Amino acid sequence: MRCDELEPLIEAIADGSHEPSPDDRVHMTSCAVCSARFEHAQRVEQWLAAREVPQPPATFTASVMSRIGQEKWQAERAVDLGFNLAVAAGVLVIFLGGFGLAWSLGFFTITVDVTALWEAAFSQVEGRVISEVQTVVIGAVLLTMALGFWWWAEAAAD
Amino acid sequence: MATPEPELVERCRRGDDTAFRELVDQYKGLVFGLIARSVPNKARAEEVAQDVFLKVHRGLPYFRGESKLSTWIYRIVINALSQERPELATASLDEVVDGQDRTRLQPAADDRALGDLLMKDRLQKAIEALPVQYQVLINGHYMKGMRYEELATALDMPMGTVKTHLHRAKRRLRLLLETEYR
Repeated sequence: MRCDELEPLIEAIADGSHEPSPDDRVHMTSCAVCSARFEHAQRVEQWLAAREVPQPPATFTASVMSRIGQEKWQAERAVDLGFNLAVAAGVLVIFLGGFGLAWSLGFFTITVDVTALWEAAFSQVEGRVISEVQTVVIGAVLLTMALGFWWWAEAAAD
Repeated sequence: MATPEPELVERCRRGDDTAFRELVDQYKGLVFGLIARSVPNKARAEEVAQDVFLKVHRGLPYFRGESKLSTWIYRIVINALSQERPELATASLDEVVDGQDRTRLQPAADDRALGDLLMKDRLQKAIEALPVQYQVLINGHYMKGMRYEELATALDMPMGTVKTHLHRAKRRLRLLLETEYR
């Protein structure tokens, strides 16, 4: 009976965090099973305390920093790719806008002299052209700003 | 002289690689020691330990400093080990190890004669068979780096529970050594 009561306390007694009662002490010295368990628990305690702490290799920190560098590079690459795609999309939108404008003005259906075409276009649809040109100019300014930001970001990264 | 923790964390947050290098140097012993004691393959242990620091690097911007840095890192180690040994990560800590349903052998007197190497091997195998939380409790406590308070915070347990679990872990270890890893 006392063996079962003592068994869960063996580790605490072995590491000194639980003080056994005088009766427990008597039992532990007289009972072969509990005595052996206690001895085993003490040895486990000693082995655990004596275990060597594995040391990291000398190159450990350098390897971690290298992997972090790689991660950063991949992240920057992804940002660069996204930015390039955005710029390409912007250029495409501006191009398509210009094309649409030209199409709506009938540039592609006129086969006469280009000078005459410009004069006719400006004189007939001046109001419309000016409003559309403003849109194109705003787009061009935004594109220039984006390219300027890109150049600045690349220069700062270097 | 080591940089104070809040300053080191702040510098790391600002992307200072020198500060992060210092952080790695400061904690690599603890992280690698804990992991290498649970992951027997040294190359794999190093890889897992490096992964922990990558997670630390990614997570530092979100580290609010409510707990100690070591505690936070310790939690990441536990998660990494749980992913490494999923079958042991979910093992119940409250499971009662009942020696009556198996053939428990009494510790033999000739155990004393076993060589250190054999004993280390048995001990290592028995520790590796413990649930992950028991492993890190034992490994952390006996590395002399982790106090009961830190273990309690890292495992989100009251200190008394940590002590109880540590005793249970050692009891289970003793039973494993008396039976399966004899």
